Amino acid sequence: MRQHLTRRELLGAGAGALLAAPALSRAAAAPTARVTVAKCKTYGPELVPTLEKMFDQVGGLSGLVKGKTVALKVNFIGVRSARLQGAKMEDTFWIHPRMIGATVHLLGKAGARRIRVVEGVWSSSETVEELMLSQNWRPNDILNAADNVEFENTNYLGKGKKYSRFMVPSGGWIYPGYDLNHSYEDCDVFISLAKLKEHAATGVTLSMKNVYGATPPTIYGQGAGVDEPSIRPHGSRSLFHDANRVPSKSAPQQKDMTLPKEAGYRLPRIVAEICSARPVHFAIIDGIHSVTGAETNYGGFKPQAPVEPGVLIAGTTCVATDAVAMAVMGFNPMADRGTAPFETADSTQRLGEDLGLGLRDLKKNEVAGTPISEVMFSYRAVAAKILAAKKA
Amino acid sequence: MALNAESVPMRWPAGPLDIARHEKEKGFSAEKAEVLRQWLAPASLAVVQNTPVNFLVVNWAAGLPADADQQQALKPLIEKGRQAGLGFVGLIEGEANKPAALAAAQSAGLSAVAMDGDTPGSTGVPVIPWNKAAQVRPTTNSPVLGISDGLWPGVPERNLGPAGPTNLAWVDSNGAALLITRTLAPDKVVWIDYDPPPQTKVTAEQYMLAVADAASYGARWVVSLDDQLRADLTANKQPALDTWKKAAGTLAFFEQHKQARTYQPMGPVAVVSNFAGADWDFGKAAVNLLPRVRQPFQIIVRSRAVGASFAGLQAIFYVDHEAPEPKLREKLTAFAKGGGTLFVRSDWPNPEGTPAPAEPYLLFNVRSLGKGRLAVCKEDQPVVYDAVSDVQVIMSHRNDLLRLYSASSSNFFYQTSAQGRQGVIHLLNYSHRPGSDVAVFYMKEPHKSARLVSPEIASPTELKLEPQDGGGQEFAVPKLAVYGAIELEK
Repeated sequence: MRQHLTRRELLGAGAGALLAAPALSRAAAAPTARVTVAKCKTYGPELVPTLEKMFDQVGGLSGLVKGKTVALKVNFIGVRSARLQGAKMEDTFWIHPRMIGATVHLLGKAGARRIRVVEGVWSSSETVEELMLSQNWRPNDILNAADNVEFENTNYLGKGKKYSRFMVPSGGWIYPGYDLNHSYEDCDVFISLAKLKEHAATGVTLSMKNVYGATPPTIYGQGAGVDEPSIRPHGSRSLFHDANRVPSKSAPQQKDMTLPKEAGYRLPRIVAEICSARPVHFAIIDGIHSVTGAETNYGGFKPQAPVEPGVLIAGTTCVATDAVAMAVMGFNPMADRGTAPFETADSTQRLGEDLGLGLRDLKKNEVAGTPISEVMFSYRAVAAKILAAKKA
Repeated sequence: MALNAESVPMRWPAGPLDIARHEKEKGFSAEKAEVLRQWLAPASLAVVQNTPVNFLVVNWAAGLPADADQQQALKPLIEKGRQAGLGFVGLIEGEANKPAALAAAQSAGLSAVAMDGDTPGSTGVPVIPWNKAAQVRPTTNSPVLGISDGLWPGVPERNLGPAGPTNLAWVDSNGAALLITRTLAPDKVVWIDYDPPPQTKVTAEQYMLAVADAASYGARWVVSLDDQLRADLTANKQPALDTWKKAAGTLAFFEQHKQARTYQPMGPVAVVSNFAGADWDFGKAAVNLLPRVRQPFQIIVRSRAVGASFAGLQAIFYVDHEAPEPKLREKLTAFAKGGGTLFVRSDWPNPEGTPAPAEPYLLFNVRSLGKGRLAVCKEDQPVVYDAVSDVQVIMSHRNDLLRLYSASSSNFFYQTSAQGRQGVIHLLNYSHRPGSDVAVFYMKEPHKSARLVSPEIASPTELKLEPQDGGGQEFAVPKLAVYGAIELEK
């Protein structure tokens, strides 16, 4: 990944900032949120009561989901056959199946009429159920955790007849809108169930970045159709990283091709745009077991290792929930480009704030549950220890 | 020494013919010519002393003026080698006068010759058919079959990208060609010929992989050393001696672990094909890519499929375009009606059964057939990786016999004994350097023990079997640069 912008790209960035100007006014109108934090050391019997208490602390789920169709966006990114240092995917990069099951159970208990667990499964066309089976999970445990539970891999058209279009209310910086699988339109309530982890290009992968995986590679992948979406997903969504090609022509196109092609510029904006176009109603972050250093290890300053922060975070806006999560990870939620974890990227959360999706300042939100100081787990301290051990 | 199943071959480039063939090549130097002369000297045979190599493959005739000089020049080497218990195979290629070359071979005391095309009727000296994998001659009298177009195994430097969208790297392996050839000719030993990439520094691990890529599939690589290594061995340079020691040690390892040669490939899906003519490309590609989706499999030659047992199979992938003969079609559809899944190409005439629901993106139209399914490919020339991926998805991971996690540049090959009590998983790392994470295997069926043997470890290592919540067992394999075999006991 390039670390420096060209002058032309800097000028483009200026243009981007101008484009963002209308959105800046939305920050003032961004909603405050209720966010809750809880210690939870295992995915065992303590999980459901802990989550239930957390949901109550932010006002309960029934007001949000009763009688509604809920899409629960989980995170199954990365090559499914990877085992970092022998650790299972659910203990590192992916949402743990018991976390999904517990959330589904509580959504059902709160009266959700239908719950669809959705994810763009890497860049493959395997069903969500098959992916779970490939990890020796028991998908029926999730399907039976509540009534009317379904799975859908949203990497392609799936069970829909056409893609659903979501326009960015502000008009967007990079793309004015996105075409997604029908599941993201079918739902009344959209919940992002994310993992507490870092990301090489966007600093952190939390409830906002999780939504990036909703974009279908049939349109946004390396093997996407030129005019129309391909039938099968092929290749990664690298065009979002570096604009190395354009989406299928059937989808909204990039507004200005002179914009910077640097991932640290593009990805945070694209993520914020998607979260604005397809708003997240509730955010949950699984930090019981996770990983330092994200999916890829850029530059060697983020060594990967399985970790057990033993924490859960949930909240009513994605920006505020991510901000609390960042504080738990040992980062300043108000940080932006140049400061950890945003050494090479703009802050997705700041951009989300600019789009009116919530507020990062913890003081402007209502933070309940376990004090952050009691659950703080510094990802960079772990990384520093690993680096020191390697050096030794 | 007579050619037989225990013969361990090595290329022995030496003499005027080799010089004549290479002297016009870019980079061919006087030093290289000198090494080719030195390897004519009987003293050079010291290289193979105390190694498993017992057969030397020499260039015998190529239709060049140097042919006669070559045959004459090799005489002292052959004589000394035979005294030392070595056999010699003369390679006859190109526009060579085959009858003359055969007569000269017999007169010189060669154990065999190797040549492409059909074997002449009466030769006086055994002839090893030496053909491309797509054109092997399984019905030869020779105990050995040669494949002349092997691939130097590894992760290719040329940018082929991933094998498929799961992002596992493409690997060059001879596994498919060897498995197919061994299935076509089960009573033969297969020798496969491939040279190190020219103008590159070849490491000991690359040589170990070159040995293991053939040997783990029950075949033998015709050992071929790069120019620099041969020069350095001639000069007795220690790094070269160390490299050769590791390569020869790997040869010895496989000679000491012959048991698996009697085992059969095991997997829940069988690929059925003629593996010849127009059916070669797709059949070979399917067999080549099934390991990249990490799907253990078996091979059944179409001509023997009517008499073959389908017991234990969950699926059959009939990959030939040509419809099977009526008896085989009857047997294949009976397999599906009994609960299996039969995958066929798009031109399967009058598909049996009735349409069944299936994910629309799949390459196959799935039909209910009795207790099982018939899956008919939608496309005439599908992307083979997509086809094998969909075969795996339609079969369902619920039924996975084995899974491999991590080790993204590795393939595995699973075999079991006739009774199924013993098994072996060959794990080949095509990057020839240890990965960042340990490889982890999942096994559906419970086993009593798993033991790692490898030319990279001094003694066998017992692997800890961990029962899994979702059923089955897992075990981690210590990091390996090249190869390990996990010996399983139920």
